[in-house]
Amino acid sequence: MPHDEKPPVLRVRDLVTSFAIGDRRAVAVDGVSFDLYPGETLGIVGESGSGKSVTALSILRLVPNPPGSIDGGSVEFEGIDLLALSYPQVRKVRGARIGMIFQEPMSSLNPVLPIGRQVAEAVEVHEGLPRALALERAVEFLTAVGIPDARKRLDHYPHQFSGGMRQRVMIALALVCRPKVLIADEPTTALDVTIQAQILDLLGEMQRQRPETAIVLITHDLAVVAETCDRVLVMYGAKVQEVAPAESLFAAPRHPYTLGLFGSIPDPARKGQPLATIPGNVPHILDLPRGACRFHTRCVLAEERCRTSEPELVEVAPRHSVRCHLAADGRDTRAEMARANAEARP
Amino acid sequence: MTRSDEAPLSILQRRWRKFKTLKRGWYSFNLLVWSFVLSFFLPLAVGEKAIVARYEGRLVFPVLADFPLGPTLFPAHGGYLDAREFGFENRGLVDWRAFQEREFFAQRGNWALLPPHPYGPIESLLDDAGLRDSRPPHAPSAQHWCGTDDRGRDVFARLVYGYRTSMLFGLSVVLLSYTIGTAFGALSGFLGRRFDLFGQRFVEIWSSLPFLYTVIIVASIVRPNLLLLVVVLALFSWMGINYYVRGEFLREKSRDYVAAAISIGESRRAIMFREILPNALTPIVSYAPFALVGAISSLVSLDFLGFGLRAPTPSWGELVNQGLSNIYEWHLVAFPLAALFVTLLLVVFVGEAVREAFDPKPYSRLR
Repeated sequence: MPHDEKPPVLRVRDLVTSFAIGDRRAVAVDGVSFDLYPGETLGIVGESGSGKSVTALSILRLVPNPPGSIDGGSVEFEGIDLLALSYPQVRKVRGARIGMIFQEPMSSLNPVLPIGRQVAEAVEVHEGLPRALALERAVEFLTAVGIPDARKRLDHYPHQFSGGMRQRVMIALALVCRPKVLIADEPTTALDVTIQAQILDLLGEMQRQRPETAIVLITHDLAVVAETCDRVLVMYGAKVQEVAPAESLFAAPRHPYTLGLFGSIPDPARKGQPLATIPGNVPHILDLPRGACRFHTRCVLAEERCRTSEPELVEVAPRHSVRCHLAADGRDTRAEMARANAEARP
Repeated sequence: MTRSDEAPLSILQRRWRKFKTLKRGWYSFNLLVWSFVLSFFLPLAVGEKAIVARYEGRLVFPVLADFPLGPTLFPAHGGYLDAREFGFENRGLVDWRAFQEREFFAQRGNWALLPPHPYGPIESLLDDAGLRDSRPPHAPSAQHWCGTDDRGRDVFARLVYGYRTSMLFGLSVVLLSYTIGTAFGALSGFLGRRFDLFGQRFVEIWSSLPFLYTVIIVASIVRPNLLLLVVVLALFSWMGINYYVRGEFLREKSRDYVAAAISIGESRRAIMFREILPNALTPIVSYAPFALVGAISSLVSLDFLGFGLRAPTPSWGELVNQGLSNIYEWHLVAFPLAALFVTLLLVVFVGEAVREAFDPKPYSRLR
């Protein structure tokens, strides 16, 4: 539930992260700003290469350097800029105040250490508890994430768990220090659909138990967003294209890219008809359009000004902002898209 | 696959179990380990000092003098024993073989229990009964199974004591050089950037220094003892494992579990040694036996060339060198080389089994 009256727990401003490719620099995150309020779930959606994962990694300064570097902006956690902290200070935030779940549960656990030790490790690092007490806490959290017989399984190794179980262990590992923010980087992408639902339910359950916890959920799966998120941030070409509360976005998407994403969800009612796609490919990160709308190369509604000037993020409805010239003018992009698509299709 | 209700085994525990099933390596391993452990009690089996002796009601344990701390802990029974207190005319060390012989015939209730092979490794036997009339080196005989060397010392005793020296030397070199190499490689691979760039250039320059000349120079300045030789050899042999460990760390540090460890706020040291190192053990453990082979061979070569351990120290290389100057005395070459061959063979068997145990494929296609 959004708590606008409360100060945001995480305030990201103008975040810029780039990678060295050869002797050029690819800007993977270009001026991303957003707020995260206590207790809300913010979804970050986008295609591969849109910069959503790098945004998540940049928050905890986990971008591998080199080749990556965070070039500008600020990430304020409870008023402290994480990007300005020293390495030992950042370490105190990682795991303890901001937890992280990774995409690949198969490889995110150390194969040579028993899982109990790995979960307890975080408690030992941050709270200085002795091993025995840390293991007790690990049992508590492993039970909470639904590992049956957790005490017995403390000494088991990651290879003895299934993918879904490993992701549960990862969630226990991320939550064991009771962080205020949980960043989940595509936590369900590598899992079976049935397991996906279980993991999402689990995240929701965890949030119900500790309603202050804010979650940043990174995904490319709109169904996951619809199910879990309070607010959604759509990214394309390293920039935020649309931010809106989930209901508002699903009811009335404005950005042609968002419309394209929704349009490409398979619909059983239209079985047999070709699936709508967004024409073209995501441009290579080094060839992103400059001084123009990032999406104009693939946009069916693109006009001259889309090629010559870059739109700003404009609030078009309460708490609903879009980076599109047309939507900013108040035009009904959705209807125009539908018309353009109908014309394109014979 | 392991069932989840079975006792969980770490990957190293599973490899250890696999290693135990490889009989040739497992027996070689046991033979080497136990013989090395037992070699620290060698004075009880091979040596010129009596284990227990009784003279005029006094019970002494002369063999304690050959153990570290023995003389200091038991000064009355195992320290320096003056021969005059044991019925000899001259001052000096007690000749326990002569003592035993004399008291056996005298029947005065005095006795001495000598080791089964009552000849020491650095004791010249030129005055001994059977050898007095001929010149050393003596050919093998019933008393001296491997003959004597050119100073009339028992070759068998020198061989078994040389085994202890060689193994001690080899293991110390491997331990020290692998510690240096692993630490340096780990830092290089983990830190990357400038440390890696300049560190690896340093390694390349360092590897191009000729080891032998350095040892010769060192040996001409100070007389090398075991510790100094270990340090010098380790300083010149850590580069190989450095490359492997660096590669392992370069690979492992980009794994997701490392990112996960960073994201829960672990320190860099914990990530290097607790998270990554156990995953980078494969080359360390599988090359160690071969490094041991190399270290033992190096000691033998250095001793052979005369730049090795200080003169009376029992050593295989020095025996082979004697064989070179006494070209017709086959036993001076054959026995030490056989000892070297068998030892290295056993170590290689261990190495082979370790490699096999670390092989992720349970069945090899080439069989």
